[in-house]
Amino acid sequence: MVMTNSPAAASPVPLQTGQEPAPGASSTRRKRSLLKRLRRSPMLYLMLLPGVVYFAVFKYAPMYGITIAFQDYLPFLGMQGSPWVGLDHFERLFSGPDFGRLLSNTLILAFLNVVIAFPAPIIVALMLNELRKQMLKKFIQTAIYIPHFLSWAIVSGLTYLLFALDIGPITVLFNELFGGRVNFLADPDWFRPLIMAQTLWKGTGWGTIIYLAALAGVDKQLYEAAMIDGAGRFQQLRHVTIPAIIPTVIIMLILNIGNFLDTGFEQIYMLTNSLNRDVADVFDTYVYFMGITNGAYSYSTAIGLFKSIVGLILILGANWLAKKFTESSLF
Amino acid sequence: MFSRRTLLGGAAAGAATLGLAACGGGGGSADADAEITTLKIMAPLLSDTAPDPEGQLQTAIEEFIGMPLEITWVPNSSYSDRVTVTMASDNIPHVMVHTGKSAELAQTAEAGGYWDLTDILPEYPNLTPENEDVAHGASINGRTYGIFRLRDAMRASVILRKDWLDNLGLAEPETTDDLREIARAFTDDDPAGDGSATTGLIIPAWSGYGNNGPYDLWETWHGTANVWKEEGGSLSPAFLAPEFIEANRTMREMVEAGQVNADFATMDSGTWNEPFFNGQGGIIADVSSRGLQLMGLFKDADPEGYGDKVTMVGNLKNPDGTLWALPTPGYSGYLTIPKAAVPGDAQLATVLTALDKLSSEEGQRLLNNGIEGVNYEVDGDQAVAIESEEASLIQSDVSAFAQIGTQSNGYLGLPAKPEGEAEAALDQKRLDYHEADLEHAVFNPGSAYMSQSYLQNGAILDQIVVDARLKFLAGQLDEAGLEAELERWTSSGGQQVVDEMNELYQQG
Amino acid sequence: MSIKHDTRGDKLFDGVNIALLLGFAALTILPFVYVVAASFATESEIASRPFFLWPNTPTLETYRYIFSTDTFIRSLLVTIGVTGVGTLVQITLTMLMAYPLSDPNLVGRGLIMRLVLFAMLFSGGMIPLFLVVKELGLLDSYWALILPLAINPFNLIVIRTFFQQLPHELREAAEIDGANEFTTFWRIMLPLSKPVIATFSLFYAVAIWNDFMSPLLYISDSSKWTLQMFVRQVTISSDPSTTLGNLDPNYVPPKEGLKFAVIVIATLPIMLVYPFLQKHFAKGVMIGSVKG
Repeated sequence: MVMTNSPAAASPVPLQTGQEPAPGASSTRRKRSLLKRLRRSPMLYLMLLPGVVYFAVFKYAPMYGITIAFQDYLPFLGMQGSPWVGLDHFERLFSGPDFGRLLSNTLILAFLNVVIAFPAPIIVALMLNELRKQMLKKFIQTAIYIPHFLSWAIVSGLTYLLFALDIGPITVLFNELFGGRVNFLADPDWFRPLIMAQTLWKGTGWGTIIYLAALAGVDKQLYEAAMIDGAGRFQQLRHVTIPAIIPTVIIMLILNIGNFLDTGFEQIYMLTNSLNRDVADVFDTYVYFMGITNGAYSYSTAIGLFKSIVGLILILGANWLAKKFTESSLF
Repeated sequence: MFSRRTLLGGAAAGAATLGLAACGGGGGSADADAEITTLKIMAPLLSDTAPDPEGQLQTAIEEFIGMPLEITWVPNSSYSDRVTVTMASDNIPHVMVHTGKSAELAQTAEAGGYWDLTDILPEYPNLTPENEDVAHGASINGRTYGIFRLRDAMRASVILRKDWLDNLGLAEPETTDDLREIARAFTDDDPAGDGSATTGLIIPAWSGYGNNGPYDLWETWHGTANVWKEEGGSLSPAFLAPEFIEANRTMREMVEAGQVNADFATMDSGTWNEPFFNGQGGIIADVSSRGLQLMGLFKDADPEGYGDKVTMVGNLKNPDGTLWALPTPGYSGYLTIPKAAVPGDAQLATVLTALDKLSSEEGQRLLNNGIEGVNYEVDGDQAVAIESEEASLIQSDVSAFAQIGTQSNGYLGLPAKPEGEAEAALDQKRLDYHEADLEHAVFNPGSAYMSQSYLQNGAILDQIVVDARLKFLAGQLDEAGLEAELERWTSSGGQQVVDEMNELYQQG
Repeated sequence: MSIKHDTRGDKLFDGVNIALLLGFAALTILPFVYVVAASFATESEIASRPFFLWPNTPTLETYRYIFSTDTFIRSLLVTIGVTGVGTLVQITLTMLMAYPLSDPNLVGRGLIMRLVLFAMLFSGGMIPLFLVVKELGLLDSYWALILPLAINPFNLIVIRTFFQQLPHELREAAEIDGANEFTTFWRIMLPLSKPVIATFSLFYAVAIWNDFMSPLLYISDSSKWTLQMFVRQVTISSDPSTTLGNLDPNYVPPKEGLKFAVIVIATLPIMLVYPFLQKHFAKGVMIGSVKG
């Protein structure tokens, strides 16, 4: 075994360093570091500076554009010249006849995204991590990330091809196996499974990359130490590998929850038709339909703002929970 | 959690830079007395490559109008986004192409963002509309805010497998009943002669209402009005009339008898040609250019025997012999002149003079055909493409420059000469049908009017009609259910649209 | 020890694992093989065969067309240049900002993190950002394709998390040796962050490569257009039920084969980046050896 003076290597459980010292850490250490903090700060702030300038100029300076949500904005009139309408756009959204349906469709898809699409790359990354043949691993990795590069227009074209009524290869196979004559593309019951299948197909491989990076960062000595302790493959997985990526998983989950209501316009729009629209309409497609209309820029800004506020509440809630029950959190 | 302080901090950071950014809004004005020496145009690009500003065609056009051009080509798929940011900035072109009558165009025009050309255009002979019906339909509540871009007013056709008709000894259809009989025979009588499964009509998933789709055609042929029905001086939605239900009842019978492709609700419209080409179906109701496209596909597969595969007829008569033909709006978007870039009368005259020149016969040929003797030759009243590298460069530029042509004074360019004899015959046939059908065209009496509540909710309201019609055809709704759904259109805001349209209609 | 017992279980585990992963890989690769095959097929073959992995009558016509225009080559070079420079700028700025934010002792860290998060969720929209880019004089400049997207808040937060996971003893040890923060970052943290750098360079590179909105809004000069402008022109086909397809008879839809060919040539170069980065995803690093 390679000896090091890092305490991390001494136990099979790696350092799950939360950013804060463990609650029991001595307060004397904190006080002592205060001086150090001030002394070494200039260099850290210098490193921080370009980023802060970036956020000020490209993120916060344009932020005044949110006021468009409270106007009937017309580009020609500009933000000063466009009439104020207060909360009109929000009232229109919340009181519209379709609001309940839009909300429930959006929430169902968002929920499916979190429980199915989110864990999939983690599982595949762990499976890849267990592969011992490097050539095989490289081949599979390269293969599964290809779909990320195909636009939704192409993915949707392929879906129509494969699931076409009576003649699509998958439809034919399915009908052979289970009998009957399933109409994947028109049957409302098949809409969500199809969306999930597309999402998994397109995003899972690409999603593994971030977890593979996390796995690549695990200190090899931890595995060696675990093996010396007599841990088998599953025990290594449980005690070394999984704990090592938990902080990444939690951060990814929190960040994903911030985009909870983003269900992907293009994907859904292209799979929607008159027969499945009742389950397919979500906020993102609704914005598109309203987008053809009057005050569309304001109206879609208003809906975007609504989604962001929901995202903010969820993200802060998730962060609070993460902080309470784990050592990883955003701040 | 976010403290109040944090949020205020963020707001302050934003406010600090607001001055920097906000000054761009509101369309900064150009000097009203300055002379326009370079004509700046913004236009959508439909082809895959943008023309070279130094290219032969642009140079020729610049020479012709006596002024250099500065054209911003914007990919068509997101053109409206670019229009939006451009109008919000102070960097506005002298001529802005609009691809349709959008709400933003109407609102900006009515707020004074574009020149009202109603009384000015008559001074320019080549910008004076030839067709008053189209001009009226293209206006915004009766005012002209742009020069419309002329398109064929009649394009509807029924495309059929000619070899199937011949195999079964059937004549080309004249009435909707004829077409139903052909659809039946194509489904039941083994038209291909090899026992393969076939159907009659091929319809893809179709979005939208009143946009010249296959259902719209079928309804029009059965006497349904074009979007708005005019009766006794007032307008009502065409789909609330009994003809609409009647037309869809017969369509539903065809669906139920398997004479329409089973996946008509979901078929990818991008693959519309495939079942026709593959012999799975034999009838398509769409614009006539698709017939030529299909002939091209057959030619690609069989350069010798492609000639007897495709035939076309125009609009169909209803069973008692009356012909109602469905026209297009006859135009596709406008050239508008933003006041922010062209504030003075003299400047406006400069711009309009240039556009007037471009709409003369010589100008139209430059924009639509190219340079005679370099990329095309004149053969009678048709243009024949010249094959050379130089010519193909110009040809590619032509497909871009055609977008800034208006032709509102009538099309004076030359139609392209079809490649082979079969194509030429089919092309001539469709043109003859279009001309004859135009005399029976059912125009949309409401096309000029923009109701505020339609602008707000129109897309959603139209969706109700589209979905109800399709669910009825698919057997998910019965006739009572269809009527109830159409009634929902009225109750969810449609009545307000009707009222507003009538108000505008009485004024217009 | 139970090594033998484990091995049998291991074999079964490995077998099932490999089978599942290969199955998934086949699912993802076959449709792409179809796209490649269709790019070499004739129009009538694409129309008549629903799904195929090899064209019956291969043709190079679509590729010949693409390479016959200098537009394609030019936009490819522009895209490669912008992607290369852009990725370098973006990953540098992001790493520089993420590192201080991973320091638990940094004053104001919480505030900055909250502002970053807020910027991730809320945006002023297309028009104000356009006006900022314009005021900075970046219109028609390649920098407009890079700077507005320089730091992705999502990437920043994840990278910071990676930094936090590195044992902080490393930092302390370095500082005891008298190194300043930048030296620690440069000499110790960066070498340990190779997988992270590789990952997020890839993310940034792919994002710039695929970006369509920035060139659309900020670049007027068509000689500076990127590959995606060309790709979109060809692949976003006109749905006949939209006004364009229906009302513009001048519009001839691009050939199906061309669409597939464009996808292939616009995707392959960026896809090839991945195998080069892949070696950085090897399982485990030797923290001890870096420290040594």
